[in-house]
Amino acid sequence: MWHEVRGLKDDVDLGTPPRDGPPVSLEIDGQPVTVPAGSSVMLAAATAGRAIPKLCATDMLEAFGSCRVCLIEIEGRNGFPASCTTPVAEGMKVKTRSEALTRLRKGVLGLYLSDFPRNEIPGGWSEFHETLKAEGITSHPYGEGGANHFDARVDDSNPYFLFDPTKCIVCSRCVRACAEVQGTFALTIDGRGFESKVVASQNQPFLQSECVSCGACVQACPSHALVEKSLFDGEYKHA
Amino acid sequence: MAQTNSPTQGAEMPVMALDRILSMANQIGDFFAPYPPERRAEGIRNHLRTYWDPRMRDQLLQHIAAGGAGLAAPVIAGAKLLQDEAHAKPGYYGPPKA
Amino acid sequence: MPNPIKPEKSVVTTCAYCGVGCGFKAETRGEKIVRMIPWKEGKANHGHSCIKGRFAYDYYNAPDRVLTPLIRASIDDPWKSVSWEEAFAYAAGEFKRIQAKFGVKSIGAVSSSRCTNEEIFLTQKLARAVLGNNNIDNCARICHSPTQFGLTQTIGAGAASQHFDSILQADVIMIVGANPTEGHPVFGSLMKRRIREGARLIVIDPRKTETVESAHCKADVHLAIRPGTNVAILDSIAHVIVREKLYNEAFVHARCEVAEFENWKALVGDDKYAPEVIGPIANVDPADIRRAARLYAGGPNSTIYYGLGVTEHSQGSTGVMCLGNLGLSCGMLGREGVGVNPLRGQGNVQGGSCLGSWPHVFSGYRFVTDHATRSSFEAEWGVTLDAEPGLRLPNMLDAAVAGSFKGMYIMGEDPVQSDPNQHHVIAAMKNMECVVLHDLFLNETSKYAHVFFPGSSSLEKDGTFTNAERRVSRVRKVIEPLAGLQDWEITVKFMNALGYELSYDNPGEVLDEIARLSPNYSGMSFALIDQIGSAQWPCNKDAPQGTEVLHREKFPRANGLGTFMLTDYVPTAERTSDRFPLLLTTGRILTQYNVGTQTRRTPNSVWHPEDVLEINEQDAIARGLQDGDWVQMSSRFGQIQLRARISERVNPGVVYTTFHHAKSKANAVTSDLSDWATNCPEYKVTAVDVVRIRVPTGTASLEAARLEAAE
Repeated sequence: MWHEVRGLKDDVDLGTPPRDGPPVSLEIDGQPVTVPAGSSVMLAAATAGRAIPKLCATDMLEAFGSCRVCLIEIEGRNGFPASCTTPVAEGMKVKTRSEALTRLRKGVLGLYLSDFPRNEIPGGWSEFHETLKAEGITSHPYGEGGANHFDARVDDSNPYFLFDPTKCIVCSRCVRACAEVQGTFALTIDGRGFESKVVASQNQPFLQSECVSCGACVQACPSHALVEKSLFDGEYKHA
Repeated sequence: MAQTNSPTQGAEMPVMALDRILSMANQIGDFFAPYPPERRAEGIRNHLRTYWDPRMRDQLLQHIAAGGAGLAAPVIAGAKLLQDEAHAKPGYYGPPKA
Repeated sequence: MPNPIKPEKSVVTTCAYCGVGCGFKAETRGEKIVRMIPWKEGKANHGHSCIKGRFAYDYYNAPDRVLTPLIRASIDDPWKSVSWEEAFAYAAGEFKRIQAKFGVKSIGAVSSSRCTNEEIFLTQKLARAVLGNNNIDNCARICHSPTQFGLTQTIGAGAASQHFDSILQADVIMIVGANPTEGHPVFGSLMKRRIREGARLIVIDPRKTETVESAHCKADVHLAIRPGTNVAILDSIAHVIVREKLYNEAFVHARCEVAEFENWKALVGDDKYAPEVIGPIANVDPADIRRAARLYAGGPNSTIYYGLGVTEHSQGSTGVMCLGNLGLSCGMLGREGVGVNPLRGQGNVQGGSCLGSWPHVFSGYRFVTDHATRSSFEAEWGVTLDAEPGLRLPNMLDAAVAGSFKGMYIMGEDPVQSDPNQHHVIAAMKNMECVVLHDLFLNETSKYAHVFFPGSSSLEKDGTFTNAERRVSRVRKVIEPLAGLQDWEITVKFMNALGYELSYDNPGEVLDEIARLSPNYSGMSFALIDQIGSAQWPCNKDAPQGTEVLHREKFPRANGLGTFMLTDYVPTAERTSDRFPLLLTTGRILTQYNVGTQTRRTPNSVWHPEDVLEINEQDAIARGLQDGDWVQMSSRFGQIQLRARISERVNPGVVYTTFHHAKSKANAVTSDLSDWATNCPEYKVTAVDVVRIRVPTGTASLEAARLEAAE
């Protein structure tokens, strides 16, 4: 009921909201862990000290299952479910690392990387940058000439933060933060597939939209596409 | 109840404009209107005793001594209880007690 | 500049804005604050924030920040920069001279809810122990003093009965005279979360606020009352509860004074409070009053949150009592999900109330007239204390006009802009011989001040704030004080200059002194808060980590029982007339904060560059007004000029404005009426008229002000 907000910790991101159910015991990579029923496998893994890489998940928002980075294997089940949207079950045996998982994650992260401004990989410290580092992804096999969003325009209409769509991975964390945390519903995803993009209101500049500038979207953004202007010295332009 | 030793206490200069004192006192009287007369008077007295600077109370009482023009009768009745220490209830200055 | 520059250091502290009291991590590079990140472990905000706390912090670095003490012999003289020592000596000399000439009681002090608990406590100590009188007040006087009075009378504690999270267990939420999504945005988000989960919503407010209707959040009942009819409408809701026997008899018999309950039933049960009688008076549909009453009484968990729309009336305290009565009668107190809760306007209004910055009580709401309490303070402070209540802030101003009050120490307030009936306040200021202002910036009040102590922002000092849910959180120094001294040090040094010897190594020692002298705070310390993050009072031997929900077993009154007050409706003396046919009510907006001292110095003014007058289309047409026209608004007290905005948020007969900008002088028109019990001003009801004007007089200065604000 309120564990979702009261169970948050400053220095860890459990990936999905804490729950308050009866205890459920399972194994993560052979290590036993007990978490409340209703928790995700991702939360159980983080609790067990086996944090699973993720991009669209964060513990202030309900699971969404879109980035496909947090895939796992579960003994006795087929496929590679997303750990954020998979609830824990008694006796479940979960594998967070395997050759197949590494290959899948590499593929997915490479795709994200292929549409991210190349010169802005070095020196970055967003969750996206840190995830690439942790997974050892420095290049992708998709070449340079493909479709991309590198020409998208920066929206710097808000005095406090800017939105640089070239760095957006369309994980919807901002959209969900605006709805679930703030309750304003100012943001949405416009378009489908490769055309999908985050827009404020009816595709307006942030300042002209219903946005109340609470900062929840900026805080939720894993790739510094939404970022505080105060963190820059001088004008914002691409390298 | 210890008395203060303010050099201005009892001095001839009024602490503030009289009409302000009277309108505040009448407002207090209005609140206690639904209470029966005895409780009403005690409520007014307790409020003045607990929340008003003694110089404001003195100014009110002086005006009452001079006829109390502009004051509602129950306010006068309540304020007059201030002059009699028998109504002091040590440690209790809340609303009128049942 | 492809990537943001990583901050170097991070300090957990508490937001300086509203009564929610969000926890933030203030991040710095060098001596510059580069980001405020909401703290996920902050128990008031759980990692959320609003535009003010999250972004509008740069005011501390504004170019017009005063960095040296200033003095002048006359308000017609220019300011002279002096050393701290000279400023303290001058102010102390003047105060002593005035007291020698006009008496001990000719001086007073006012503290601010923008100050820490420790500073507020020191300011009342300065008044009581050093100036030797009880002329000490704080700005809660003009916002929530009726809360302290009204709730204490009925349920025994002048504070929120719940913690914020309690709302996540509420089934019915009643908001009275508050607009949380603008005024207390982070709590507003929590409330909306619960409404999306299915909680029902009742709003009592003259204006169709954002709380009444927004995305996925709509009030089940909105009572858009005529300003000034709160007590009538709340008594009418009580009438329905009594007549339809919706009250919780078991709770009343177990927990309340039953005889008083019967008296109350007789009063509100009278035909004069029937919805069919009150409906036309309050300008609402009687059926809606009945719906509201049934919803509230039906619960199962119903909770009340209220704001200044309840308190800032001539019957403000009575309105608060009505809410206490309602909670008691329906048994909506003493557990999670229910309660009666004031939404405090400023970060430390609750602390201001708790820490004895009042003319009649010491910290912990214990009367100065009480010998035992007074003796404990006399023993700690080593002086004899005044046994009689002192003057309240409005009475200090009245006394200044009358000539019996001559000097004032004002810590972190701008009464000339924020207090009602501005002409009266200015007359009072001009009549004083020494006004000592302690603030970050020169403001409207500094025009009438003789000494200016340059203070420290909350980013530059240590201490604690107590938020609207009684939660005591740490304010931590993020950067060094720009003018050299933290606020608590300034007050201590001023006390020293006045001849009172005392010293503290850090404000934690002041909190220790507060704990020794105040039962509700007896368990509080910097060490405890550092360890558990924050603690809600009462925090003592029985509750070493604080108390989330009050009144579980009994009410903190002498007999442990809640009681019912007789809350007759007395219409305000402020009435409409042929000359002033409209009722003005005032409020706040999300992006600006009170008199704007902080937010006007940030880009927040992009959203709200000026105060505008909201007026219904019907009233606008009758006056030939179009959206954006300049108007002159006059009342019995004064007149101001501002732009009109035609709006469906206000009903015909009602106009609304904010009071964030000094140039619009909203308080030049507000009345001198005030709450019967506490003198809290009646900001929420002023009879006015509005006429169209072609060009505002002094347009140049107004435009200049807007440009300045927008910069």
